[in-house]
Amino acid sequence: MTSTRCAVCKYFRRRCPSDCIFSPHFPPNNPQRFTCVHRIYGASNIGKMLEELPIEDRAIAVETLYYEAKCRIQDPVYGCVGLIPWLQQELNIAQSQLAKTRAEIAFLYANVPVAKPILGPTEPLVQQNDIDHGLDDPSNSWFC
Amino acid sequence: MSGNPSTSSTGGGGGGGPCGACKFLRRKCVSECIFAPYFDSEQGAAHFAAVHKVFGASNVTKLLMHIPVNKRLDAVITLSYEAQARLRDPVYGCVAQIFALQQQVANLHTELSYFRTHLATLEAVTSSPQTPPPPPPPPQLHFTRAELSTSDLPNTTCVPTAYDLSSLFEPTLKPSSWTMQQMRPHQFSSGSTIAPPTDMPPAQIDDVDLEELGRFATVPCSGVTSLPPHGKGDEIV
Repeated sequence: MTSTRCAVCKYFRRRCPSDCIFSPHFPPNNPQRFTCVHRIYGASNIGKMLEELPIEDRAIAVETLYYEAKCRIQDPVYGCVGLIPWLQQELNIAQSQLAKTRAEIAFLYANVPVAKPILGPTEPLVQQNDIDHGLDDPSNSWFC
Repeated sequence: MSGNPSTSSTGGGGGGGPCGACKFLRRKCVSECIFAPYFDSEQGAAHFAAVHKVFGASNVTKLLMHIPVNKRLDAVITLSYEAQARLRDPVYGCVAQIFALQQQVANLHTELSYFRTHLATLEAVTSSPQTPPPPPPPPQLHFTRAELSTSDLPNTTCVPTAYDLSSLFEPTLKPSSWTMQQMRPHQFSSGSTIAPPTDMPPAQIDDVDLEELGRFATVPCSGVTSLPPHGKGDEIV
């Protein structure tokens, strides 16, 4: 038995064994954390979930369960699931704005005159599709 | 849970047999069964099994009792979504998807800020005859594994109070009609920026299952301006 009971064992007024599955994740100085998850999931379900997880994953699992429980208490209808459509909307808006800004930049680059590159008279440019565009002519303003 | 959100003949202890929940629980389905409108006797039992495994029937009953009747369908849908996500990913549940989306949004905002700055510079330069500078490389956005801290995740007070939940089940599509009746200012928890569980993709949702859930996921909901009172959950399920 641990000298200090975890929040779960304190809640249920029982002895807290040394191998209590809850004690690493529900310290006695934060009873609200357990109250929150217990209200939504129930201690029994939490215990079963933790037992099925590797020890190294339990801390994260409790954290996410606590987050979901908090969201569900704040919003009993949608819980944290309500955030997903909202974030998707935010993502779409940001993508649209980014595309628009990039297009504006591309437009400016396309419409601003750029100095011609310096090439030797015998230096051919790459010919595409075997079509001679007269690229050997350095006076040809091929560049954009 | 598919196709029959209303009080169907398949549940409710009338002439149609037990609802999916009571079938699963192997109990008599009374006429005022709280689950009957949402879990039909055919596939409802399977859906209820997930909800029961994660939340417990008693806890779900208490939750639904404190929700107005016109909102219970949405509540059941979101509870089922959470339950199924949790069964698929026992560690992160649906938080993985929230985390990934939030990080994507943050990265896009960073990129947008960068390009807007560059655009402003370009506009200033193009007004002069000199050659515009080549665009510098965009910021490298890395996903780095970091300790999960849910304190940096958004809270539910910054979202609309009503949704078209069909967008939940088609994440690649743009959200369709929003029934946003109240938009509250964004309220993000303070704290350092954290990275999501990096190469973890958003929670993979079984489209087949969720399409069934989505069949009745388009009930327009009126905004609820105040949360219903809730009781203590002091019962072990």
